[in-house]
Order: sequence, then structure tokens, then C-alpha cells
Amino acid sequence: MSAPATALTIVALVVLGTILFALAGVRRIKMDPQQYIVGGRSFGTIFLWVLLAGEIYTTFTFLGIAGLTYSQGAPAYYIMAYGTCAYILGYFLAPAMWRAGKERGLLTGADFFETSYNSRALGVAIALLQFVMIVPYVALQLSGLQILLQIAGYGAYNATISTSVAFVILALFVFTAGLRGTAWASIVKDVFVLAAVTFAGIAIPIRFFGSPASMFDRIVQTHPHMLVLPFGTAFHGTIWYISTVLLSGIGFYMGPHSWNAVYSARSGDTLRRNAMLLPFYQIFLTLMLFAGFSAALIVPGLKGTAVDQSFLHVVQRYYPAWLLGFVASAGALAALIPASALLLAGASVITKNVAGDVFGIATSDAARTRLTRILVLVVALLALGVWLTAQRTVVELLLLYYNGITQFMPGVVAAFLWKRATAWGVAAGLAAGLVVAVPLAALNISPWGVNAGFLALAVNVAVLIIISLLTRAPVRARQGSGAS
Amino acid sequence: MRPTPPSSVLGLRVLLAAVPIAALTVAVPFVNRIEPRILGLPFILAWSIAWVMLTPAFIWSIGRLDRHW
Repeated sequence: MSAPATALTIVALVVLGTILFALAGVRRIKMDPQQYIVGGRSFGTIFLWVLLAGEIYTTFTFLGIAGLTYSQGAPAYYIMAYGTCAYILGYFLAPAMWRAGKERGLLTGADFFETSYNSRALGVAIALLQFVMIVPYVALQLSGLQILLQIAGYGAYNATISTSVAFVILALFVFTAGLRGTAWASIVKDVFVLAAVTFAGIAIPIRFFGSPASMFDRIVQTHPHMLVLPFGTAFHGTIWYISTVLLSGIGFYMGPHSWNAVYSARSGDTLRRNAMLLPFYQIFLTLMLFAGFSAALIVPGLKGTAVDQSFLHVVQRYYPAWLLGFVASAGALAALIPASALLLAGASVITKNVAGDVFGIATSDAARTRLTRILVLVVALLALGVWLTAQRTVVELLLLYYNGITQFMPGVVAAFLWKRATAWGVAAGLAAGLVVAVPLAALNISPWGVNAGFLALAVNVAVLIIISLLTRAPVRARQGSGAS
Repeated sequence: MRPTPPSSVLGLRVLLAAVPIAALTVAVPFVNRIEPRILGLPFILAWSIAWVMLTPAFIWSIGRLDRHW
């Protein structure tokens, strides 16, 4: 078999094998909305750890970290730091989110806002906003998948069609298996990603430089500026670094799909133990920094979006096809598994918060499961359409997404800590935050070196407080949202 | 329901949460150096990795104070 055929065959077998394994894992599960969308609130510590690692660590982990390291060096350290800060915050926040979900029978993040502020309009607005954010984030995963398939095919063909086919298969898988299926598939994905990352971060430096330490010796001699951050307000300097770590850490649990994962926990303590165990996964991210630095020495000179492919080029050029196949398989799963969680989250907010709450359709359990499944396919086709028509580099899209989702945080924290917060205050704060964050992020402006999303967060909080005080104090209803 | 921990541990919990976050953020300008290299890693990278590895111990301590385990 030719090299591209070998590598691509391995990718196809791994992806299909993962899906079959996950289908076997859910074959005896009866699907109602609670089971399909939030796993019946029954996941224990290990299963939930696997799911969280499965949906958090995306193609960005795989391609973006190495790419950012390759092109800029030290700013990429932020990826390790922000996840760790997020888990510390998550120890306090996630059990509170879970408890609200359990007590009120919530299915989505929008349900949380609706019940906390006793405002259906707010719930619908949040649902639509989350939906709008999910679509480009899924498209981002497709870009990652396409890069992987193109490299696995040794650039011999355009991977657009195979990416689309893989994605449609994934959508059918989510249609069948729900959140529990994603968790089962995450088991395989985590194993492949950890193996590939260890290879990239340890085996590559050993082969080319003798050890990771001597690889750093070479960087110290040739590109010392890459190993430290520029100081102060410089582009990607220390001020940018601190504000980005804090901002991304704050936004971490605010992803539309994070709500489903948090609700799926068996208890609050399950989430606390997860907060303690998840930093260990961050250690492996360090290895992608090693891979990025190695690639900067081995295949210098890549520009633009090609930097995200830097370490894959090393594998493609210097290693056998079967190894490239396994590395690309890990990357493909890193794109597909988070995408599956996102499809489910996007479908569930529309089913529950728009179709059910606004139009009163699909409110029975059977109808709700059926509509969520159909919408999984609709969201998938929409994301595919967006991806086929608009593309940007992986890291830029992620920062845009994070600048957006972090703006949900003030409304969540206020629901727990400030009784005076009102639906109008939360909505106005969120709107103001987005109006500041999105244009600045799109234009890549960092006032005084600070990550623009951080300023937007400050505006968000100020507007939330002012408008809440100007509007009538809320009657806080704590009943269920209608979900069984 | 578990017994509520005494309020005197509240400040300690906040401190235990704040130390690793501060080490990974506001401390960075002070450790933003290549030397001394630790196991070959530039100092800022070794510092960051060390704090990531220490964080579970901090979270475990908070959990003990909260009597969750």
C-alpha cells in the first residue's frame, strides 16, 4: 500500500472503531431527554474525567499549541496556566452549577439563566446566543480535521470531501448515542491523544537533538527570545499573558457544552474530585510545547496557518506512514469528540429553550428526545455550511470564542452571590460585554496590552450592577423549569 | 448534608485557591527568565509546570478544609 493510503486507512479504522466502541457502550441505554442530553446525571469521577478531558482538549490542543509555540514561543505557555486556574475556580463553581441543575431539573445552560432570574425571555436569548457561538466552534474543529487528513494523505488530495463525510458520520453517531456515547468515545480519544502527545514531545526531541533538554539548549543558542515573554504592554507580552490566562480561566466552564458535562455528574463531590485531577492532564500539554519548539528547529520558515501543521510536517517527513496515521488519528478524534459534545449542546438548547419554551412543541419526553436528535443533524449541516464558506486560523477563532463565552460568567456568579441581580441587568451586561469584546477581538486590538475580552468583562460587570439597581428587584423563583 | 466548616477556615480556603492562581499569573513578570534552567527547561516554563503539578495538592487541601473528603 502507498504511504498516503496506509496513513488514511489507519485514520479511518481508528475513527470508525471508536464510534463502534462507543455505540457498544450505550447499546442497553434507554434514551429519554435526561439520559440523552445530560447522561442521566449519573457519571462517576473517572467517567466524567474522561468526558471532560475528551471534550475540553480539542484540535487546538493538538495543532494550535504546537503552532503558537512554533511561531511565537513563550506566549503558548498560557495554555497550561489557564486550564489550571480554571480548575481551581471550578472546584467552587461547578458543584454550585450542578446543584442548581439537580434541584431544578435543568438540561441546558439557558435553563440555568431562565430559572435563576425567573425570566423565560432571558433563557431564550441565552439559548440563541449559545447556538450562534457553537456553530463557528464546530467549524473550527472541521478546519483542524481537514488539516490532519490532508497531511495524512501527504498533501496528495484536497481533504474537504473526506472531512465532510467524517463529520456526517459523527453527526449520525451523536444522533444515536447522546452524551453517554461521547463519554465512551472519549475513552479511546484520550488514550490516542496522550500517546500521540508523548511521542511528539519526547520521541521527536530525542531523535533529533538527543533529549528535550538539549533541544532547549539549541533554542537558547539560536532563538533565546522565544523562551521568554516580551515585557509589559508589548504584543503577547506579560500583561497580555496575565489577562489572557485569567480571562480564559474564568470562561472555561462557560462553554455551552460544559453545562451538559457538569449536569452529568453524579454529585457535587464528583466535580470537586475532577477539579483536583484535571490539572494532571495539563502536564501533557507541556509536551506539545516541546513538539512546537522542536518543529521550529527542524522545519523552520512556515508562515500563516501553516504553522499549525508544523509538528505534523516533521512526522510526515521523517517517520513511517503508519506512525503518521496514528498521530493523525489522535488529532482526528480530538476534532470529532468535542464536536460531538457541541452538536448535542446546540441541539438541546434549541429543543428545550426555543421549541419547547417558546412554541410549546416537543414538550413530552419522547418528542423532546426525537427533536433533539433531528436538530443534532441540522446543527451539523449548518456548521458544515459555515465551514465550507468561511475560514480563519485555529488560534484566532478560539480566542474569539473565549472572548464571547466568558461574558456569560457575571450572570452565573451573580445568580449565586448577588440576590439583587435582575434579568435586565444580566442581559444588558452580557450585551455590553459582547459589543466591546467581539469587535476588538476581530480587529486584534489589545488596549494597553490587555486582552480585550478582559476589558469587556469589566464593562459587563459594571453594566450588570448598574442596570440591576435601576430595575425592579427580582422575585427569585427556584422551581424547576418544566423538565422532568 | 455535611456539617458546615467553621468560618475561620474561609480565609484559608481563599488563600489556598489564590496562591497557585497568583503564581501562574501575576508572578510571571518576576520569573520571566531563561536562567536558571531546571532539567534543561527555561526557568519560566519550569516554574509554570511546577505550579500546575502542585495545584492538585492545593485543591485537595481546600477539600479537606471543606470536609468533602
